[in-house]
Amino acid sequence: MRIGLLTEGGYPYVSGEGGLWCDRLVRGLDRHEFDVYAFSSGEAQEDAGWVPLPPQVSRVRTAPLWTAEDDGVVYGRRARRHFAEHYAELAAVLCASADSAAAEADRFATALRGLAELAREEGGLVAALRSETAVRALERACRAPGARRTAREARVPDLLEVTAHVERALRPLSLDWYEEDGLGAVDLCHAAAGGVAALPGLLAHHFFGVPLLVTEYGVRLRTHYLTRPDSPPPVRSLLAAFHRGLTAETYRRAAFLTPGNAHARHWQERCGADPAKLRTVYPGMDAAPFAEVGESPESADPHTLVWAGRVEPAKDLVSLLHAFAQIRTREPKARLRIIGGPTGPEGAAYLGHCRALAAHLFPDEADGPHAVGDNPVSFEELGGPGLETPAHAYAGGAVTVLSSVVEGFPTGLIEAMFCARATVSTDVGAVVEAIGGTGLVVPPRNPRALAEACVSLLRDPERRTRLGAAARARALELFTVDQNVSAFHRIYLEIVARTPVRRPVLDGTGDPLPFAAPAEAHVPGHWTDPTPRAVPTWALETPVPATETVR
Amino acid sequence: MTDLGELKRGTPGAADPVKALLHRHHDLCRRAVDPLEIAAGLEAHGITDRTAARFRHRDVFSLAEELYARAPRDTDPVPPTTPRAETTRGFARFLLPLLPGALCAGTVIALRQTHGETRLYAAATGILAVTLAVRAVLRRGPLSTPGRTPATTSWTCWLIGYALLGDGLLDAAVTGGPDGLPDGSTGGHWPLATAPALALTLACAPAAWTTHLFTTHARRRLGSSRGLEDFSASVRPVLLGTFVVFLGTLAALLAAASGLLAEPLAFSGTLALGALLFLARLLTVHGFSHAPKVILTITALAQAAALTTVLAARIPGCAALSAPVETLTTTWSPAAVPTLTCGAAALILLIHASRTLSRASAHVAPEQPR
Repeated sequence: MRIGLLTEGGYPYVSGEGGLWCDRLVRGLDRHEFDVYAFSSGEAQEDAGWVPLPPQVSRVRTAPLWTAEDDGVVYGRRARRHFAEHYAELAAVLCASADSAAAEADRFATALRGLAELAREEGGLVAALRSETAVRALERACRAPGARRTAREARVPDLLEVTAHVERALRPLSLDWYEEDGLGAVDLCHAAAGGVAALPGLLAHHFFGVPLLVTEYGVRLRTHYLTRPDSPPPVRSLLAAFHRGLTAETYRRAAFLTPGNAHARHWQERCGADPAKLRTVYPGMDAAPFAEVGESPESADPHTLVWAGRVEPAKDLVSLLHAFAQIRTREPKARLRIIGGPTGPEGAAYLGHCRALAAHLFPDEADGPHAVGDNPVSFEELGGPGLETPAHAYAGGAVTVLSSVVEGFPTGLIEAMFCARATVSTDVGAVVEAIGGTGLVVPPRNPRALAEACVSLLRDPERRTRLGAAARARALELFTVDQNVSAFHRIYLEIVARTPVRRPVLDGTGDPLPFAAPAEAHVPGHWTDPTPRAVPTWALETPVPATETVR
Repeated sequence: MTDLGELKRGTPGAADPVKALLHRHHDLCRRAVDPLEIAAGLEAHGITDRTAARFRHRDVFSLAEELYARAPRDTDPVPPTTPRAETTRGFARFLLPLLPGALCAGTVIALRQTHGETRLYAAATGILAVTLAVRAVLRRGPLSTPGRTPATTSWTCWLIGYALLGDGLLDAAVTGGPDGLPDGSTGGHWPLATAPALALTLACAPAAWTTHLFTTHARRRLGSSRGLEDFSASVRPVLLGTFVVFLGTLAALLAAASGLLAEPLAFSGTLALGALLFLARLLTVHGFSHAPKVILTITALAQAAALTTVLAARIPGCAALSAPVETLTTTWSPAAVPTLTCGAAALILLIHASRTLSRASAHVAPEQPR
């Protein structure tokens, strides 16, 4: 099967988020052929180069999203009229009040397809989307009767900002990927993210009927809402309408959607995805590095709590330190190891704050009058002596603690589960979903509850072992790479079985040729080639005329 | 797990817990343009479906919908956006454009003071220095372009070269000359017109300043106008004003230069050329590089054609070729050729500029590559 993998700012570039699972997917499904269509997110990323690609990646086509070349095409009267019509339609959808969602979705789809067809036939869409025609169409739509109140307030700079953003978002329409030997030749488009990355898949579906699969570990629409809090209300309102429309259209056209967790799944359902199309596929992680630690749970120090991850304010280490103060009053031998480096300058400042707080709460202590003192809370970084891998980090402690107030999919928690460690985590993001019943969960921002849970685990080694073993079993069942890859393999097969691409072969006069593509054409390899049969080796050395004629 | 009773006791205003939540996330709810934005914001603050259950809601989305419905909407008028901070430094904006004029003045003085071979070297050095200075002015400051632009350098050089040498050549050609290469003096059989060149290089400074004025003014109008028509109507007079100010400054500079150098005043041709180059640059700076390129090419080709017809008339049997240009030159002056060609071109560009530069889309700040 030939799969078009659509990525944005990740695979196959070295520096990029989400590159790892794409790489594992491509390597795991080596019986399929992959065409990678990638958007790069910046010049620095392009300069950093690609990861080594396995042989099943037959072609890679990339396009920058951060810049667009004007191809210099000037529209004639007809093309200009078409552009104005489609853009006006799009603008009307952006400004319409949110009453008639279904009709709006249809109009959005029509406008998008019209623009895509125009770009494919005439080119020059980049210049047209930046042109005065576009700005005027948007202004007219904003001032039209029935427009939303926030849209009606849009001023000239707002209109310009929205037009510029829409131009950037619609850059994939101008690419030359939508040809018979480009995206038209694949059997299935797999978009590694929603939003702009799925746009080529939408167009391939429109032009060639290629089925689309969208995987979202974080919902793009949600990210969009969080990324522009400072723009004026009209801009946010119009752009939110645009991204909502694009997301709804993607969800509507996709054959299947694979959210990475229940949280993403709720968002997708909320944005109009048909629940019948949703298949949750948990992200897979490599269990091998944790096998050694996971199979020897007795190696842990029974008095040590471990926190591991990137230090940033959302991790709420302050709450953890306060909880640890309460733990110390009841379990004086307890120690806390905080393992991880800061993220960015904000994280570094937060780490400094936490160190100061730890020094304030816990003075150095020594065993006797002549021993050198030590602090019960230690701050360490991965890569130090004895801490080469995350597995070593979790290995040291009997209980792993997660104190975040905000969390997406808790990767660190899964690692702790692989290590068969009992865990105490806060109830945020996908934590409950990941941990199931194999660890303790407390409300966020509640040091007392966190302390209670930790103390109960520290005092009960048997329960610790039981929970740890259950956690490891659960993680091995649900969160391994194999599970992830085989889930996608099944979904690929299901899609191709249900909605195959129909490519009618035409004869010279343009009539369809029946039986031009026999079923054997879909068999991997060439079906007329001599197949390796169980023939004795001595028979192969001499030519056998009989088999020649059979062939 | 979550102890509902305990948590509820800790919340102030237990009768209406949503009100407390609304108060805590007041900014988020007031700014939000739709419920999903509130939902995303609440989740970023750590509120999950389990938390929403405390507020008697099924999930965060329905909680966000209630918050959206109950939040006081932001009805204050939007404050006009402040114009973007200017990134060009004072040196590039104010002092650098003076450099070509200064260098050109130095060159002219050197040409006057020297003779023979030394004068040749002085001329070569001067031209090189002025070219580099002009290049620097076009690379930095208000006259620089955001991206790559199609090359119009050769045509621009031709037009300036014609202003320097063309009138003399045409005059000489009509009267049967020229008898040799120009000697760099303003007299002789092929005179050099240094005053126009000096005035044009000096005019780099007003060109840069007026362009900066126009750009900042247009950006400010962008922030304050309500509609696109409104914006166009207010920017068009600014554009014409800018153009007139530049032309007036150029005329003054030209008069001064001609007076100082004691050269005949070639008013019309130089003004037309200055207007053409200024408008072409103004359009290119705002991203409209196609029209200036075409117009500059046509103008330069027209001037070349005028010269060629006069010289080609010397081939036996082609005497009639020179008739139009010769008539023009004799009835008016050799300056008629640049005046007509550059003047017509400048007029076309002015009309084009008044249509394109009054659009709001022409004044979008260039995108910063990441």
